[in-house]
Amino acid sequence: MALLFKDPSKLSAYRDRRFPGTQEEFDEVLQNSTTVYVGNMSFYTTEEQVYELFSRAGELKKIVMGLDKNTKTPCGFCFLMYYSREDAEDSVKYISGTILDDRPIRVDFDWGFQEGRQWGRGRSGGQVRDEYRTDYDPGRGGYGKLVQRELESQRQLVDYGAGSLGSFQPVMPPPYGRHGGNHYHGGSHRHGRDYNRKRYREDDNREPDISKRSPNYDSRRNSDRDSRPEKNPRFRESGDSDEEEEDDGKQHR
Amino acid sequence: MSSWRNLVLRIGEKCPDYGGNDDFKDHIETCFGAVRREFEYSEDDILEFLLQCAEQLPHKIPLYGTLVGLLNLENEDFVTKVVENTQANLQAALDSGNCDRIRVLMRFLTGLMCSKVLQPSSLVVLFETLLSSAATTVDDDKGNPSWQARADFYITCILSCLPWGGGELVEQVPEEIERVMAGIQAYMSIRRHVSDTGFSVFEYIDESNQSDNEKDFLEDLWIRIQDLSNNGWKLDSVPRPHLSFEAQLVAVKSHDFGPISCPDHSDPPTALSGIAFGRQKHEAESKYPQRIRRLNIFPSSKYEDVQSIDRFVVEEYLLDVMLFLNGCRKECASYMVGLPVSFRYEYLMAETIFSQLLLLPQPPFKPMYYTLVIIDLCKALPGAFPAVVAGAVRALFDKIADLDMECRTRLILWFSHHLSNFQFIWPWEEWAHVLDLPKWDPQRVFVQEILEREVRLSYWDKIKQSIESAPALEELLPPKGTPNFKYSSEDGGKTEHALSSELIGMVKGRLSSREIVSWVEDSVLAVHGLDITLGVVVQTLLNIGSKSFTHLITVLERYGQVISRICSDQDKQVMLISEVSSFWRNNAQMTAIAIDRMMGYRLISNLAIVRWVFSPSNVDQFHISDRPWEILRNAVNKTYNRISDLRKEMSSLKRSVLSAEESASKARAELSAAESKLTLMDGEPVLGENPVRMKRLKSQVDKANEEEVSVRESLEAKEALFAKAVDEIEALFISLYKSFSNVLVEPLRDAFKDGMLRRTDAADEMPIDDEDSSAMELDKESEKSKKSHSNGDRSGNDYTVGEKEQWCLSTLGYVKAFTRQYASEIWPHVEKLDADVLSKDVHPLFLKAFYAGLRRPMSDLV
Repeated sequence: MALLFKDPSKLSAYRDRRFPGTQEEFDEVLQNSTTVYVGNMSFYTTEEQVYELFSRAGELKKIVMGLDKNTKTPCGFCFLMYYSREDAEDSVKYISGTILDDRPIRVDFDWGFQEGRQWGRGRSGGQVRDEYRTDYDPGRGGYGKLVQRELESQRQLVDYGAGSLGSFQPVMPPPYGRHGGNHYHGGSHRHGRDYNRKRYREDDNREPDISKRSPNYDSRRNSDRDSRPEKNPRFRESGDSDEEEEDDGKQHR
Repeated sequence: MSSWRNLVLRIGEKCPDYGGNDDFKDHIETCFGAVRREFEYSEDDILEFLLQCAEQLPHKIPLYGTLVGLLNLENEDFVTKVVENTQANLQAALDSGNCDRIRVLMRFLTGLMCSKVLQPSSLVVLFETLLSSAATTVDDDKGNPSWQARADFYITCILSCLPWGGGELVEQVPEEIERVMAGIQAYMSIRRHVSDTGFSVFEYIDESNQSDNEKDFLEDLWIRIQDLSNNGWKLDSVPRPHLSFEAQLVAVKSHDFGPISCPDHSDPPTALSGIAFGRQKHEAESKYPQRIRRLNIFPSSKYEDVQSIDRFVVEEYLLDVMLFLNGCRKECASYMVGLPVSFRYEYLMAETIFSQLLLLPQPPFKPMYYTLVIIDLCKALPGAFPAVVAGAVRALFDKIADLDMECRTRLILWFSHHLSNFQFIWPWEEWAHVLDLPKWDPQRVFVQEILEREVRLSYWDKIKQSIESAPALEELLPPKGTPNFKYSSEDGGKTEHALSSELIGMVKGRLSSREIVSWVEDSVLAVHGLDITLGVVVQTLLNIGSKSFTHLITVLERYGQVISRICSDQDKQVMLISEVSSFWRNNAQMTAIAIDRMMGYRLISNLAIVRWVFSPSNVDQFHISDRPWEILRNAVNKTYNRISDLRKEMSSLKRSVLSAEESASKARAELSAAESKLTLMDGEPVLGENPVRMKRLKSQVDKANEEEVSVRESLEAKEALFAKAVDEIEALFISLYKSFSNVLVEPLRDAFKDGMLRRTDAADEMPIDDEDSSAMELDKESEKSKKSHSNGDRSGNDYTVGEKEQWCLSTLGYVKAFTRQYASEIWPHVEKLDADVLSKDVHPLFLKAFYAGLRRPMSDLV
């Protein structure tokens, strides 16, 4: 249906450069794949949120969260495997561009998950897009990695003089008290899932358009809490079972 | 200069291709000019594209019809092809029962008739063909009345053409059209009224005869068309661009339309009632479903300036746009807001979309699609549409107690999803009053379930924050969903704690499943007995897998065998489910997921799930929470998915068998042809071709035979699996309905002593309470028109059903919802269900709910 406005053979504008085959083979695989790629997710979004949303398009077989190579924490994408092609198509049609966790997510057909694809491909471990980003995106660890490094070096300079000028430094009342940021995952809340994991994100009034950088973010450029990525509170440090890959071929219904 | 393609595609739209002008006459002339210039280069492309546009953008059919009319002046041969193609397409659509195509092509033919391309009498012949097929179908002697759904559909198609060309037909062939109208009148008198039982969104179990007094869809449309006819065929919603070109169009030759035939009806069942009749009726209704059931949720004053026929036409437009532009968000929204009509229709649009979202037995698309449509319309019309949607939500909330159970679930899923796309903003203070209602009150349950789903889509604190305007509603939020691990300390038992720690150690040490099984058997089960073993193993493994969905799956894949060794029969599987539910008692979602996955790994059977759902502690929740129902829905759905997957695999294997047979017989034919050939060998005629070729052919035959055998074998294997799945689903239905019947029998007897459902509210006759009007977006014309009464207008505060009655109503509602959703799977097992479940001591209201779900006439009850 709706062939007038769509070229049914063009399923995805994205061409994975790691795909081992020709463009034709790539297209062929996309036509039949039951795997979708979900992008522009918040680092904080849980598998259960993904499950709640995407199972409305059909029974899900598997979820593979994209992880930062270095920190082994979610870095804003995932792969979903459906049992049926039709359900995968519907998830692309009906969910792509809608909001999950206050962010417009992207849903695309994928050529199929393979071990290794869960890791971010950016130099710093996360996704490439988070490497060069210059905007402040609290759902994706603040500034892009390059900017963060830049800020890090600036922060050290500032710190240098902090001994004498410390009282000069305008201390911003923490709008999202950073003290929780690095500590609460080890606290009495054993499981991060339902802990106030996003309390510290100042994203409630943010426009869906994440590319707009509001001035008040700029004003905090030098405040040190922004130069360090927050540790993802939802990474369960005792998690031990992600690394082994299961047999995908089994159909468990 | 825009391409002819863009001009054809965008005709009638205010767009750059037409320089932003929106005069239809200009558009048609411009487009006509472009197409005419292109004729000699790409006539075939034009034909194909034009037909495609007319079929997929049917709200523009008058424009396409006029365009073809003008082309008829230039190139009669081309237009002959347009008509011939349309005829062939229509015939194919009739043969395959493609309802949407039949309907749209008939409208296109009407458009062609208006622009003098098609002779009016040809259209009348088509009408009469359909009419006669319909009349035969509903004839008790010659036809097969169980297929009335198709007959009704044909008549609907004829009537649906009339807003587009009724006036023209009456002008040109008054007698013929008179004859058609008389024929329809006669049809209406012999067909049976279609009761909405089982499919109506609002249910009045205590007003059982209500739906019989109401007009069914066709009766209603017939009245609208008669009104239109009495009004001189004038309406506002259908543009008539051909009128501007009348002087040119009269001059051309009208084309004839070849004969069309309707498919024969299947053999009628032997009796006019009974199971065989019911099955055929079900099949017919599934193939020719009613397209819309109007909701009437807004006060009628919202439409007073819209003629009844215009309402019908706009609904058709909207449904067509949603149908054909499914998956094209931008175009779908922009066509929906830019229909070629002169009046405002936001309310109509909202009502139409909600009628689809709530359409029973199921909407044409997944409910999620309508979520997307509503989101996009809220963005396209930010000033108008959100308020209308809010009005619809309020109106539905007011009537929630009468809403069908499945519709309530769809509404909850939709609304939570909708709000998640708009920062969870909603004036919750309007609904804070539900806290004063008993915990089983449908409005209260509704609010609680929306909050539950919101939390699942987001997170607890965020949703807590979103109800700031009514902080007391926090009481209805689900608990923070942490696990409830019994053995995290020694409080759960010293022995258990020690065993649990030991097991954790083994899992951390990556012991194999087999090693753990033998540990369990030798050191736990033999020493501590089943209860402790099951508790420790299940709780501990769940705790290891509690961090995420993937962790759960990993644990189940690695150590599922340990669980299956302990839980070897149904009794133990029920204990297993209880353990899961206790571990995840703070998290409905994880409970449902864990049980679902365990069924997926066949650690638990669907029958065990049914048994657990109908255990007393869950039964007590039936009217208060969606929790047990979600688990039951998943189990039935998974069973259904299994059987439909097998069906698909079988049908594809059947195709492979056919093609294997074909190539095998081809190979054999080639071989025998070669064998019978005489070849000269050493001057002597010898039977058979040269040996090399013969050898090759023989091996080909062998290979093809082998292939055929192997595909056949896989088909047989699938068929065996399928037979098993059929037995499984039958056993599931028997167990499900027995359980329903058992839990219902006493409460129904107590709550409804006279066997009929009577509510204790006289409030139906009282005026609606207007106190919270400030909060209402809707105008509060609270005078109750007959129309809105028919859909119920219980205001929020007069609901006075007791707990037991509400429990019965909810449970009966689910009986109906499950039956309706799986009617196609249930029908083949009806004899068995009649014998095993329904023959015994069952309550008439339970029977009624079951029959309503199947749309089986109550008269079948003996």
